[in-house]
Order: sequence, then structure tokens, then C-alpha cells
Amino acid sequence: MVKPTEAQHKWTMVVDLDKCTGCHACVVACHAENNVPIRNKSEVQANRAQHWIRIERYWTGDPPAIARFLPMLCQHCNRAPCEPVCPVYASVHSQRENLNLQVYNRCVGTRYCNNNCPYVVRYFNFYDPYFPAPLTEQLNPDVTVRTAGIMEKCTFCVQRINRAEQRALVEGRDLAPDEVQPACVQTCPPSALLFGDLFNPESRVAKALAGNQRSLRVLEELGTEPAIYYLKGGKSYVRF
Amino acid sequence: MGRRIGRRDLLKIGAASAVAAALGGCEFPRPWVTLEPHVRPPEEQTAGVATWYASTCRQCPAGCGIIVRTLNGRAVKIEGNPQHPLNEGKLCPRGQAGLQELYNPDRLQAPVRQAVRGSRQYTAITWDDAVAALRSGLAAAGPRTAVWADFAVSGHLLDLFSRLSAALGAPPPLVFDLYTALSGYAALTAADQALFGRAALPTYGVEEADVVLSFAADFLGTWLSTTHYGVAFGSFRQRPLAERGYLAQFEPRSNLAGAKADLWLRLQPGTEALVAQAIARLIADGGAGPADRVARAQLWAPNVDPAAVAVQSGVPLEDLRRLAGTFVTAARPLALPGGAVTGHGNAVEQVAAVQVLNIIAGVTGFGLSPAPPLADLVQPMAAPYGEVLRLVERMRAGDVGALLVWGTANPVYALPPSLSFVDALQQVPLVVSFRPIVDETAVWADLLLPDRTYLESWGYQVVAPSFGEPLVNSQQPVVQPLYDTRATGDLLLEAAQGISAAAAALPCANELAVLRERIAALPPGTFGGVGADVQWARFLQHGFWQSAAGPAALTPPAAGLQPVLVPAPSFQGDAGEFPFFLYIYMPVLLSDGRGADKPWLVGSPDPMTTIMWQTCAEIETNTAIKLGVTYGDIVRITSPYGEVEAPVYVLNSLRPDTIAIPTGLGHSALGRFASREAEGPNPMVLIGPQADASGTSLAWANVRVRVTRTGRSVALAKFENTRGSYGGFINQSFPDQYL
Repeated sequence: MVKPTEAQHKWTMVVDLDKCTGCHACVVACHAENNVPIRNKSEVQANRAQHWIRIERYWTGDPPAIARFLPMLCQHCNRAPCEPVCPVYASVHSQRENLNLQVYNRCVGTRYCNNNCPYVVRYFNFYDPYFPAPLTEQLNPDVTVRTAGIMEKCTFCVQRINRAEQRALVEGRDLAPDEVQPACVQTCPPSALLFGDLFNPESRVAKALAGNQRSLRVLEELGTEPAIYYLKGGKSYVRF
Repeated sequence: MGRRIGRRDLLKIGAASAVAAALGGCEFPRPWVTLEPHVRPPEEQTAGVATWYASTCRQCPAGCGIIVRTLNGRAVKIEGNPQHPLNEGKLCPRGQAGLQELYNPDRLQAPVRQAVRGSRQYTAITWDDAVAALRSGLAAAGPRTAVWADFAVSGHLLDLFSRLSAALGAPPPLVFDLYTALSGYAALTAADQALFGRAALPTYGVEEADVVLSFAADFLGTWLSTTHYGVAFGSFRQRPLAERGYLAQFEPRSNLAGAKADLWLRLQPGTEALVAQAIARLIADGGAGPADRVARAQLWAPNVDPAAVAVQSGVPLEDLRRLAGTFVTAARPLALPGGAVTGHGNAVEQVAAVQVLNIIAGVTGFGLSPAPPLADLVQPMAAPYGEVLRLVERMRAGDVGALLVWGTANPVYALPPSLSFVDALQQVPLVVSFRPIVDETAVWADLLLPDRTYLESWGYQVVAPSFGEPLVNSQQPVVQPLYDTRATGDLLLEAAQGISAAAAALPCANELAVLRERIAALPPGTFGGVGADVQWARFLQHGFWQSAAGPAALTPPAAGLQPVLVPAPSFQGDAGEFPFFLYIYMPVLLSDGRGADKPWLVGSPDPMTTIMWQTCAEIETNTAIKLGVTYGDIVRITSPYGEVEAPVYVLNSLRPDTIAIPTGLGHSALGRFASREAEGPNPMVLIGPQADASGTSLAWANVRVRVTRTGRSVALAKFENTRGSYGGFINQSFPDQYL
């Protein structure tokens, strides 16, 4: 019997806050890849906006203040607080992918997981998705469209991971380092987002984190062991 | 890989544990079981093999390479073309959202005629009728024909429009849209003509720079090439074995670049060029730094008093002095003239004032976009705003018999209403719109002949600005056309056949023949290939043509030019009656309004305000307290030229004496998302119709406004109401551990 730590891959993301420009390319790419519905104005006014990855905008200093951007998405915790509270095992730690996944057809919408997630990255479908034709044509056939009453969240683009694994299997080889890129990482212009297998020392995330003094994890003190590492903003050398 | 445990295994385990319990005391062989999804979610099922097509993004004028994933004849995802030198596989949010231009539910599905302009009562016509109507209209107008296109027009189509106009004896097509106007394309080109003797857009090697002074250039959001500069910014910030680049942003309101800057200086609107000149003067007088730079500064810096500039701009003299020192001692410094620099005064002189800093630096990171690899390859050039004024004057005088409007130009929305463009349109006997969706200009058209969207059509684009090497992008259909639309190129060729003057100038059978003829003439590129067919196939396959010669050096020759002292900014409107400066900017998602019909863009939060589906009048925190307004209160913003009503957004990163309003919304057409679901002011209503002193730019950054309360308010659709990861709302201070 394998233990969870004996999984083949440790999918990990690195977010370089020094590079993130807050441009929202990742947000739109995620909507496109994962069929995440756009909520209309009244739904947003009810605080029911839905983005699997969001750019949190904070301020530093008194006015005039400087905006700071923090991309926030499911942290894919090793010890995920959302998992033990689900009465129907819809929020599970998938053994095979070593990811925290949501099984939509199990979910009964108790929203306990949402309540228990310290990162507030689980989104409940308060409404059915609305894609007036022919916007239905844009939907990614690899990903389910979730109905009202279902909890959903970032999957690290598990459909891309599976496709890449199947391709590697067919070609009789191991996954190449950085072969899998989620939609957000793929599009990020300044490469503020990196994704890869932390178990593979050749991957970009392993290289980015090796000896990096800037790395930290959000709310690490809660013991959730997130799979997303943030590299904090660098100080400029001021040659004044 | 762990062994899967199926249902049968679980039953066995259950049986075994029952036995174990019966035996008592025996150790259970497995301390825990694996729980797996009972039903495999569809993420693990792959539906067929995708086909990827390379093409060109048309969501802004930059020309990033894209690859489009298609499955079963549907385009399902746009990604950056990893081979393309401009964007290196990356894409900005607007590029990602291109699918919603293709699949917009409110597209015009067939040619229609509108009997009464503005009535929005359309009668379907056949394409034969459409061609006949276009032909007779063109024949009647003859030399009084005018063509208006946006900057993202395909080269071959602009070529056909130009040939048609020339054959009819009409002036060449006018290329003008709000995106290039607010980015200052025409003034940048004119300033490079004046400084370096060549009319081309400037290029800046941000990725190599170590110090960047940005004068209101939103190069991470909507300036010349968002994605290219985004990629460059990544290297600028963190590069192995090199110093972290230093960015200083001069801007009244912090945009994305201001938020990422090491030093954001809230200078008074309109004083950007003055500050640049003061820095040049301080370099010349300071004497520190390399001798050649100081010598060039002494040659080029105008005689400006830095202390006076410090008072005018609100930037402390000490900061100016330190920045001058930082700039002159840096290895590869750069100065970027942003769009706001071109919106007042003499735009060409203002841009030149900033470009002089690059001349003083004398580094290789700065240059001019290369010329097209072939003279026959048509490259759009942003028309000076003075030409727009002349065309509108001709329309008003009845000198325009037919106006053809192509693409996202949308002059009725983009031009300030104080210009009375709609009145001028009434004097034109025939107005034709080719836009695939009914926009504000199409509402005033007689014939609506929808072209295909860029994901359904052919084309090429000479990339501008291109960074070091000429690039020619290919644009090809990635899906079958959705509707009964027709390529405007084919339409022109067909219509021209019946006009004696034009038939000889447009002898081709179809637009694809025109396109292939042009591409076949290109010299061999990096992708090689023998024979026209193979070269054409490689052109489509890779999505672009690149010179096999490789990139050229960027350094432009500095031609002689006397430095001109830029005057202090003057504003429309009395400071007593209109106490606030108006600062208009293009937001990263909506840009100049072409994002407003795409739910992915208009329904995603703006980075700075986190607002979706709305745009606001942004007021600084302390000013809002003084005015007695807060989030969602509707205020009336009045300028000497017009007024708008808008909800207030209280913004921390803004000057207290400035009201900022983004472009993009305020649509009365452009489909349900833009006109019905989204709401916000169109700030162009507040702008005067004048050109700047050089005649190249719309003077859009020189207006004062006043703010009055209406007593009403709306709920803002803002994302920051959502609880963030640190307990409270997202709108709070940044956790210290990230700084």
C-alpha cells in the first residue's frame, strides 16, 4: 500500500509577486479553459462573483497608497481543511494526481468546504451558468460545465495533466519536466506563474525554489501545507 | 503509482476487517484505505484530438502570434504562439478573450440595409444586392469616397482599400481608432520622424534595461505592446546574475506600471515632458556620470529651470535630482513617453522631450521599429488627428459621397461628441459599415455588410512596433465562418468589377490571390521552404515570417534637432469653475471599448478597482471625504464640453486634484453585454474636439472638470467586497511578510 507521500508527482506552483503585473491574463485564460461562468452584474453585487484564480488587490501605505497584487487560487493543500468536512467525500485528495479535487456529481452543496477554506478559493454555483448561444461553442469539451448547487474550484487544470500523462504513456516515456502547463501559467506574460513537479529537480518550480530566500506560503502557520509558493516582492536597489 | 482499490476490493477489505474483528487482537494489514472518486470525472476523458492553427491576434494593434485550439470545428482556446518573437507564447487578457468576438451572441449574421439611419430597423438583403448597392454607391461617389479603418486592419485589405481609393481618385484610407489615439501612435511616429529622420514607432528594450523612467506609459496594460512588455517586465524584474531593474513611474493616477514601480510620482497632469526636460537639464548641469552622456545632455537639454518644474509638477526637486543621477549612472537606462504625454500642448515636442533622455543615454535598448521587408507590404500608419478633422470638415461640407468604415474604428463612439461627428455623417449620402457586430457607427449606416471576424478570415500584418527585426504575421481562418458574412476584400474586388475606373486597379479574382501574391514575394525566411506553395504553407503553419538575416541593431542615428523648451500645460476650463483635472485612461481589460462586448473582459475585475460590469469616476480618498461622496454615489462630472454621470469609486492611488475615468463603457450599441448589462460613462463626452498644437493628436488630456453630487447612488459590482485570504475584505493593507 502506498502512502500519500509516495505519489509520483508533487504538482506545485510558484507565484513571483515581484513579476506579477496584475494584468488578469491568468483570470481570463482560466475562464476560457475551465468553463468558469462569468457572473452578471446583480450576481456580482451580491458578492457571488466566480473566478477560480483571482488577483487580490491590497494597498500599502496611507493614501497615496500603492496597489499590490496577489494571485490567489486553490492552494492544493497537503492537509486540506476542506476535505475532512465534506459529508459526501466530494472534496477529496485524489490519490492518483496527488491533488485536491472536487467530485462534482457527489457534491450536494453543503458548502462546508467553502466555510472551512482559509483561502476562500472555493466558489459555489448559486446560479446555473448562462452561455447564450453561440457562446456555448467556446466551452472546453474536456471540462464539465457545473450546474447550480455545486461547489467548484481550481483543479490545476487536471485535464491537461491527464492528457499529458496519457500522451507520455502512449509514447512510452516519462513526463518531461514542465510538459504540463495550466492555462494561467501558460499565458502569464511576465512568467510570474510557474508550474511543475516539485519531485523532479529539473522542473522550473524546483529550480525556482532551490535556495530561494524569497519563498513563503500563504497562511503557512495553519499547517495546511499549501502546494503554492509565493516569492515575495523584491526590494529595489535604490542607487539614489 | 498506487494500486487502485475498486469496489470489489473494498468489499474484500470489509470482509477481511470483519474476520479481523472476529479474530480479535490481530493487526489489521492495512491501516487505512484509499478513497477515490466513485465515478471518474470527465476531466479524465479526452474528447478527440485537437487541431491547432497559428494566426494573429487582432484585439489591439500590437500583433501577437496566437495558436487556436479547435475541436470538432469549434475554436475552444486561444494561446500565445510559443515561436513568435513578439509574445513568446504569452498572451494578455484581451487576446485570451478573442473567442468571444467570434462567438458573440449579438453578431450581425447577414448583410442588412437600414432605411432610416439611427432607427435600428434593418432589412435583410442578399449579398448580390449588397454588392450592387456598394458598387453604385462607389461609382456615384467616385473621388468623394472616404475609407476609415482601424489600425488592426489586415495589410492586404488596406492595400485593396488604397488601390480602390486611388483608382477612384479619392484620398487614401484614414487609419484612426481610439486605442492608437490614446496611446499616441501618431505623435510617437511624428517625433521619430523629427528626431531620427524616419517615421516609425519607437521600440524599447525593457528586458535589458536596468533603470526605466516611464512618463505615464501604461506599458503593462494598454500601451504599444502589452504582452511584449509584459514578457520583458518579467526579465526586467528578476533575471539571473543581474540586478533587479528599477522602475520610476510619473503619472497622476497609478496604473499597473505605477503599482509595480519602485517609485511612483503623482505629478500634476500635463507636466510629464517638463519633468523629462528638467531631468535632462540636471544631468547636463550635474556633471556626474559618464562624460559622453553629460556632453550629450549639454547639447540636447533645453534651458529649463528644474526648481520651477519641481513646483509646477509637484515632484520634489530632490527626487528629480536623484532620478537624474540614477538615470545617468545606469548601465542601460530608458525613458518611455506614454500616451498622456501626447494629449495636450504640442504632442511631437513633448514626445521628443522624453526621447531626448534616450538619446542622452545612448544605449542599444532603444530604437525604431524596422521598415517592412518589402515596399509592397502595406503597413498601417496611424493618421494624425488633423486628418480626421479635415475629413469631418469635408463630410460636413458635403464633399464626401460615400464613407466606408471598417473594423473597430467606431468613430461615433471614439470621437468626442463636441466634434458633432453624427451631424457630419448626415451629410454623407452613403455610409457603409463592415463591422461584424452593430456598433455605434453602424447604427448611423445605410448598409451593414458584416465582414468575418479575425478568427474566420485571411490576412497579414507587418508587426509594428517590431523589436529589432521585421516580422510579418499570417492570419488564417481557424473555423468555418459562422454566418452569412463575406470578406470585405472579396466584396471590394467584386464591387470594383462594375466600376470602370476601379476594375483595372483591382484585377484579382479574390482576396486570397492578393494575399498569396504579396507573401510569395517575401525573401526566404527562417522557416525556409522551396517553392511558393511550401513557403505559403510554412507561413501559415508557423504563423509568421521572420527574416533569415536575424535582428538588426536597435540604435537609431541621432539627427540634429534643436531642443525645444516645452511650455507649461494649459487646460480647457477655468480653474475656479472646474477645480479638477480630468485624467482619462484605457483600462487593461476594456481598452478603448473593444473589450466591452466580451463577458470575459467586462465581467472580470479591473486590477486596480476590482470593478466588473461598470466603470466609475475615480476620486481620491481625501477628496471624496471633502466632497461628501463615497463608493457608489452617483456624481455629475461637467467639463466645458459636456457632462456625464458616473458612480464614484474612492481610489487611494490618485492625485487629490484629479478625477480619473476609464474608457471602454458608455455604449449604446455593440451587443447586449456592452450596451445593456454593462454601465459606465464614456469619458470622451468631456473632451473638446481640438487637435494638439502639432496637429497629430487629439487633445484629450487638457480638460478640467467639476464634480457635483446627484444624491443618488448605485451598488458597485466590485470584487473587493469578497472576503480575501486574510480574513477581511480584499481591500485592505498588504500583509507585511510579502514586502
